[in-house]
Amino acid sequence: MRFARLAFALVSAIALPLALTPRAGTAQGSAAATQTAPAAEKPAQPDFITPHISDGSKIDVPSFSLRENLTREIELPKWAPVHIGPLTVDLSPTKHVVMLLIAAVLCALTLMTAAVSQARSAATGKPPRGFANAIEATVLYIRNEVIIPNVGRHGEAFVPFCLTLFFFILFMNLLGLIPYGATATSNISVTATLAIVSFFVVEIAGMRALGKGYINTIVYWPHDMSFAMKVFISPIMTPVELIGKITKPVALSIRLFANMIAGHVVVLALISLIFTFGSWLVVPVPVIAATGIMVLELFVAFLQAFVFTVLVSVFIGQIRESAH
Amino acid sequence: MRSVFTRSLAMLTIAAPLLAQEGGEAAAKPSLLSLQSGLMFWTLVVFVILFVGLSKFAFGPITKAVADREQALLDAIEAAKKDRDDAAALLEQHRKAIEAARNEAQRFIAEGRAQAEKMKAEMLEQTHAQQAELLERARRDIDSEKTKAIDELRREAIDLALAGASKVIEKNLDDAQNRKLVESYLSSIK
Repeated sequence: MRFARLAFALVSAIALPLALTPRAGTAQGSAAATQTAPAAEKPAQPDFITPHISDGSKIDVPSFSLRENLTREIELPKWAPVHIGPLTVDLSPTKHVVMLLIAAVLCALTLMTAAVSQARSAATGKPPRGFANAIEATVLYIRNEVIIPNVGRHGEAFVPFCLTLFFFILFMNLLGLIPYGATATSNISVTATLAIVSFFVVEIAGMRALGKGYINTIVYWPHDMSFAMKVFISPIMTPVELIGKITKPVALSIRLFANMIAGHVVVLALISLIFTFGSWLVVPVPVIAATGIMVLELFVAFLQAFVFTVLVSVFIGQIRESAH
Repeated sequence: MRSVFTRSLAMLTIAAPLLAQEGGEAAAKPSLLSLQSGLMFWTLVVFVILFVGLSKFAFGPITKAVADREQALLDAIEAAKKDRDDAAALLEQHRKAIEAARNEAQRFIAEGRAQAEKMKAEMLEQTHAQQAELLERARRDIDSEKTKAIDELRREAIDLALAGASKVIEKNLDDAQNRKLVESYLSSIK
């Protein structure tokens, strides 16, 4: 019941600024159309889905002026690109960088507050209560039921990494559900980076666990076959093994990114129905539907963070066990 | 089916930056699948800092506190078990002491009973003996009295006889000689 109310509040918070912006959107869209594509014949449709889900150099902050549609856009500073060898990296902060930072700060604050209050209650010899207890229960659940069983023996070393992944992704996912927020995890660059980091962690875990045997996870060289058979099959299977290695992080990054973007697109598309129909009468249907999707999104935010963590721990466990 | 799909998406992803670069100038906004190196850099930096910070200040203390609490619980359980064992041992000891005391009491009672029994028998015997002795004494007294009476009677009889005889034969007979005669006669009939 409380979730539904929360979701309704979220939806109305998103819908309200949107409801007041069709004109601005149209103006923007047509302006963009005249600027970039003078050849375009058909009138440009206002597109407020893509700007909402993609990265940009502006962030939205709350405004209390109805003239500004309750939203003020703040232009982020633009820095000169940095040249690292042949690469040119534009390190200017973007909307998703800001969200990333906010998520990280919130995540750190939440967990450290919990740790501090837990330490305080530990000093009195009592188990923590309330919020600290909830965080502790989550941490323990992920650690004891997800990471350690999947990673296998001596899995403690990987617990902080996997837990950081879970909470960081969770906070980024949840930020997207808050008005004026954006989902950094709906950007493939973010999920790909996390997946690449996980990939390196998995491979290094494999190298440390298997030693010289790690090469067997790349070059297919089964010890229970004749030499001729090995020579025959190795060139075929080695690329397959390699593709298998690369697929995991790619699937990880796309799964998270696509899941996060999908919910937002659906919510925005539903809200857009109001403007497509251009009638107040149609308002309740998309609002109710979007509320439902929002509730689902809340679940998906947790689920995808959980899935990412589970899969990373499974991959670590797999590569460490592959020698046996 | 799904892996084919993800792989094709993967290829798209890998190709996306190239595609984006190619058409970078033409398309004003970047494709959803293009990788932005700046954002990737920031993600990496933020993630690494968060990882270091959280493992040092959040997960480390939380897991340590939980482990400590678990240890404390285990210790408490262990101590409770030890206390219980001690209590059980003590109870056993007390039970034994009570059992011993009960046996002792039982023994005392039995002993007392036996002693009483013995005393009763002794007293009975003593009474019997006394009774017998009394009877015996009475009988002896009676006997001696009887003898005495018989002697008395005899002497009286002698005296009477003598008196009578002396009356009869006072004249012709010496008292002393007659007496001797009668005495000898009486002793012969004894």
